[in-house]
Amino acid sequence: MQKYTLPMLLALLGPALAWAAPDPKLLMPEFSGLAQKASESVTITLDPTLLSMAARFLDGNDPQDAATKEIIKGLRGIYVRSYTFDKDAEYAQSDIDAVRSQLSAPGWNPLVQTHSRKTRADVDIYIMLDHDQAVGLALIASEPRQFTIVNIIGAIDLDKLHKLEGQFGVPKLDIDGPKTPAQGTRK
Amino acid sequence: MNHDIESGMRSALRPLAPSEEFSQQLLARVAADPQARQKSYGLMPRIARPLAWWLATSLAACLVLAVGVERHLEQQRSQQSGLEARREVLQALRVTSQKLNLAYEAVKSESTSLPDEKPGD
Repeated sequence: MQKYTLPMLLALLGPALAWAAPDPKLLMPEFSGLAQKASESVTITLDPTLLSMAARFLDGNDPQDAATKEIIKGLRGIYVRSYTFDKDAEYAQSDIDAVRSQLSAPGWNPLVQTHSRKTRADVDIYIMLDHDQAVGLALIASEPRQFTIVNIIGAIDLDKLHKLEGQFGVPKLDIDGPKTPAQGTRK
Repeated sequence: MNHDIESGMRSALRPLAPSEEFSQQLLARVAADPQARQKSYGLMPRIARPLAWWLATSLAACLVLAVGVERHLEQQRSQQSGLEARREVLQALRVTSQKLNLAYEAVKSESTSLPDEKPGD
């Protein structure tokens, strides 16, 4: 009887433990009203199937493709919503807050929060860690005429993120590991 | 006299059922002779047989062609989806990099505008 106790306990607790594990996937609102008002909108939903399909079409001999392939190797999803408007304040702060509120859930850690007076842009970067490994990244960027939400799910290697530098014009960020606390520069 | 001849002829020419042995021998000979068997099909099947063969061959060729075309279209669809997924991945990373750039610029300008910190602080 005793030899069955542990497997039974695991079978019973397994789903509960899985449920309790923080989910790095954010619930993206529809933003259908904003899409109509926006002069440009980007809606990207890449699930694991599409990511592996994309990886097959990335050329390993091309530096940009090779870097991209390396980055998406451990990813399980990339979700992007970006809206650009012709006028200022075409979107409500509540649109962003619906996503931002999800980042107060356990597991999410603010990595960088910035505000630029020059561009009037706020950028918040959150990261979800599991045993010192980044398993989720959320980025919310709000500018007067644009707002962008990025949610990346999966084993994000921050070193690989560095490799983006030069490929897409990404500068070197001082992201040397999960130990980096929030760089609260927001005013 | 005439009556006798007539009845004699009738009895001589009366229909008789063949013996069982005769029937079996006849059927065995027909089965053994391919020419006899062929003759029994008549004229129409001789023309219809090559036609049926061509029809079957054409049908098979059409099926093979249809399967080939379907596979080719499926491959094209799959390639289009793959290329579209690739384009989206690149665009997603481009958007992400642009926003990371914004954060970097803000951090950089913040650090340059701050007065130099004393060592040990």
